[in-house]
Amino acid sequence: MDIRMNQLAVKDLCKTYIVNKRQNNVLRNINLTVEAGEMVAVMGPSGSGKSTLLYTVSGMDTATAGEVTFHGRKIDSLSAKEMSRIRLTEMGFIFQQMYMLKNLTIYDNIILPAYQADKEKAGRARINERAKELMRKLGIMEIAENDITEVSGGQLQRACICRSLINNPEMIFADEPTGALNQQNSKEVMRELNRINREGTTIMLVTHDSKVAAKSDRVLYIEDGTIKGELNLGKYKEEDGARDRERWLSGWLLEMGF
Amino acid sequence: MLFHILKKDLKRKRTMNMILLLFIVLATIFLASSVSNLIKIMGAVDYFLETAKTADYLIVAGSEESETPIEKFLEKCEYVTEYEVIDAYMLMDENIEIVKCTQDLGRTKYEKGDILSLNPVPENFAKVFDENGEQLYLSTGEIAFPKIQAEKNNLQVGDIIKISCEGREKEFTIRTIVKDAIFGTSHMGYKRLFISKEDYEDLVGEEPSFHTLLYNVNCSDEKEFLKEYRKNSFEVFSMLDKATVKMCYIFDMLLIGILIVVSICLILISFLILRFTIVFTLQEDYKEIGIMKAIGITDMGIKGIYLMKYLAIALAGAVIGLVFSFPFGRFLISESMENIMAPDTNSNIGIHLLCALGIIVIILLFCFLSTGKVSKFTAIEAIRKGGNGERYQTKNLLKLYKRKRMLPAVYMAFNDVMSNTKRYLVLAAVFCMGTILILLPLKAVHTLQDEGIIRLFGFQSSSVFIETSDLEKYLVQKGRSGMNSYMERIEEELKQEGMDANVWVELDYMIPCYGNDPNQKVSYYTQQQMGKDEDDYEVIKGTVPVFPNEIMVTEKTAEELAVKIGDIVYFEFPTEVREFIVTGTFQSMMNMGNGLRVGKTAELPDQYLSGCFSLQADIETDLNSIELLEKMQDCFPNYTIKSGKEYISEMIGISDQMDDLIWLITVTVLFINMLITLLTMKSLITRERGEIAMLKSIGFAEKTIKGWQCTRILLVLISAILLGTMLSHFLAPVTVGPIFAMMGATSIKLVTDSLEAYVIYPLILLIVTGITSYLCAFEITKVDLKEINTLE
Repeated sequence: MDIRMNQLAVKDLCKTYIVNKRQNNVLRNINLTVEAGEMVAVMGPSGSGKSTLLYTVSGMDTATAGEVTFHGRKIDSLSAKEMSRIRLTEMGFIFQQMYMLKNLTIYDNIILPAYQADKEKAGRARINERAKELMRKLGIMEIAENDITEVSGGQLQRACICRSLINNPEMIFADEPTGALNQQNSKEVMRELNRINREGTTIMLVTHDSKVAAKSDRVLYIEDGTIKGELNLGKYKEEDGARDRERWLSGWLLEMGF
Repeated sequence: MLFHILKKDLKRKRTMNMILLLFIVLATIFLASSVSNLIKIMGAVDYFLETAKTADYLIVAGSEESETPIEKFLEKCEYVTEYEVIDAYMLMDENIEIVKCTQDLGRTKYEKGDILSLNPVPENFAKVFDENGEQLYLSTGEIAFPKIQAEKNNLQVGDIIKISCEGREKEFTIRTIVKDAIFGTSHMGYKRLFISKEDYEDLVGEEPSFHTLLYNVNCSDEKEFLKEYRKNSFEVFSMLDKATVKMCYIFDMLLIGILIVVSICLILISFLILRFTIVFTLQEDYKEIGIMKAIGITDMGIKGIYLMKYLAIALAGAVIGLVFSFPFGRFLISESMENIMAPDTNSNIGIHLLCALGIIVIILLFCFLSTGKVSKFTAIEAIRKGGNGERYQTKNLLKLYKRKRMLPAVYMAFNDVMSNTKRYLVLAAVFCMGTILILLPLKAVHTLQDEGIIRLFGFQSSSVFIETSDLEKYLVQKGRSGMNSYMERIEEELKQEGMDANVWVELDYMIPCYGNDPNQKVSYYTQQQMGKDEDDYEVIKGTVPVFPNEIMVTEKTAEELAVKIGDIVYFEFPTEVREFIVTGTFQSMMNMGNGLRVGKTAELPDQYLSGCFSLQADIETDLNSIELLEKMQDCFPNYTIKSGKEYISEMIGISDQMDDLIWLITVTVLFINMLITLLTMKSLITRERGEIAMLKSIGFAEKTIKGWQCTRILLVLISAILLGTMLSHFLAPVTVGPIFAMMGATSIKLVTDSLEAYVIYPLILLIVTGITSYLCAFEITKVDLKEINTLE
């Protein structure tokens, strides 16, 4: 039996914004866990709180109430410095906007977080090796010296994935990683994310695309700030093909009213 | 609709609009105050001399009779249109006693230093003014003091002094510090105290034992008058023309010159700032311009919106800047105008207004040109930042993976500056100009404060200068022989205190002389050293005169007399004409670069002695110069002991003002650096919110991001300081050098105190700008990580 520990545990998580003196409860009493090595997709209509959930559980935003535990540590009790350190070394982030520093080449953008984490500056040769290995794996070695404006969206997103992996994170948070890509590029990016997940990295991603979500182990459906349902796709993993998994998911989403 | 878009824009882009507003305020302040100050100071000396009614020629002479040969000549000379003789009474230190002094001096003895005379308030020529620039009027019992004399004796308005002359004495209360256009400058060794006409008549009487007479002469033809005058050999203390009086403002002109450089730099800075701001803010607007084009708003409509927006901001900024330009202008000019009376400042309001209007016009012009460029683009090009947005132009020049030891934050800063050099050019130019603004006047100050300056004033180096109160009296009463025994007495006094000393003095003669043209007689100051075995003076060409018939002349005098080494200079005495062979040329800042020097063996008649400088002494001692000065002052409390540097500094009289001016410039430069740093940082952070959010999201600590932001500014600053230092090295000879040349130092080597110029001031700039950028970098704490979603 596969005994896996919780990578992420969320208990009674609430997030409230005050807009024009009106209280807006974006997340209401969310409870969830993500196990190490798992790939979890979060789906839901626009404005349902998917991205807010991702940002709050990853420490990029603070919760109004509740508790978020990452790898056994309550992240809301960590200092800004400690949180930065965790984001730098234990978490990886991929965004819909493939944002990188404009003045740096693709390669320099990828190695930047690793150089920052490498306080002793002794491991720079090793970092360069890892960056090249990752770029080779993701098929973007030929664009290493390019500016970010000289490559396609798919290549740029793969470069962002490389950057998120450069410090060997335990978990990757991805917010609409294929949202700005065409179908072909989306496929390539998801193939890479699946591969990374198979290699042991936990992934939590927000998406609108059922084809993308179908490649994960579990799908959470969120609406009006609460988790309305959860579909475990892992049980269909071995017996069914990709098409069947997508069908199962689509049916379930219809049930959820998506 | 357009008004609605404009209103929304002003509200939504509050930060960028505020930055634009602040830059416009800054540009208006700099432009208006600098242009106004330039106009004001350019004509200030002329205005002052004109208001004081300075005659074409001023002759100072002494006589036991009230009617003199000079007056008879003036009466007859056809080229004289009008003249006036002003009577004055020469004062010695013992003629003045300090009765009440607000600042406790610990002495009642007055020390005049310069030649000093008591005068009735002049009414027609050579007028003087009170501190407020009003023509001086004094009641009985009141006295007016020139600033230099008051400062020398720590006297203030309200203090009381007693003056005794011709066996009578009277107490006077100081009513004001007087502005004396002719004799008020530090360069003039003659100063005037003023009392009311009634007091003067009571105190001096109608027939004093000796008259000092100031002849104010206006002529119809100055050249012809001079020719006629030079045909006579009048015995005078001094003869000056208006141009020479004007030249005596040279040290004040040095201050004014520095202020002109400051003003020009500020004007340049204000234009740089304007260009930077308009280009920067309009680039930010390109995307919106594109969207407006895409939805069908016409080019004229879009231009209208932006012209309206910039007009509104420019109006607000120009009005605020206009208000602040007045106090800022006054602050800048305060140190330079202490000795000068400037024209009524109210007339400059128009200049300020014009400058403010100019700023508005320039902004609209820039805006029109920039938006005009946008109309050439398609909507989508404009959305992509006009096709010339930097995003499509940058190329990183440094490679992170090649930097084995560099911190990522430092690398990012280096890379930003090197990849986007254009973006930092304005900042660098402002920092560079600031550095030059500090270093150029600093070089002037260092040169004036250098130990070697003493030689540029025609002195030999000595351990100390000894100022005694009765030296001049000895010279007047007993001539050279009296001076010899006086110096022997001082040497003896020093010996009694265990100090073996060689004491000497520089004597000043005023002898009519000429070069090749006997019709061109001029009375120049001729110096002669007395008491020292060696003559070790600064020589540019040739040698120091050794034999009694040898002389050396300053380069300026050589030119005026049309003589060169080997030529003859003729000294005309009543009974003979004596010949002196020119053995060398020298430079001297004494008497505006004019002067001659004879060897110590030359015998000149005592009657031509016009004065002497303080005693100088070389002392055999193991003490360092400070200890020696302290010890001597303790041993001889009745004498004032000074180092050569102190003596010259006091003689120049503007050292304090120069120091104050340096500080004023430093404060101004720091203020500009702080403002431009603040605004640049604010602009950059506003523009880079997305990148900052991204860096935060991938785990860069705020400290690192602040480091990146600050390092960029410091990199630009350090480069600008280095460039500014190099440029000032080349600019100094062509900016500061000519000012010294005008003062007589034709071949000066400017001195720089490396510690101050290359360490202390750059450090001050670095620290203040560094702190400012660090404080500005706190803005990044307000950048929310979620802003990554709003990135382009």
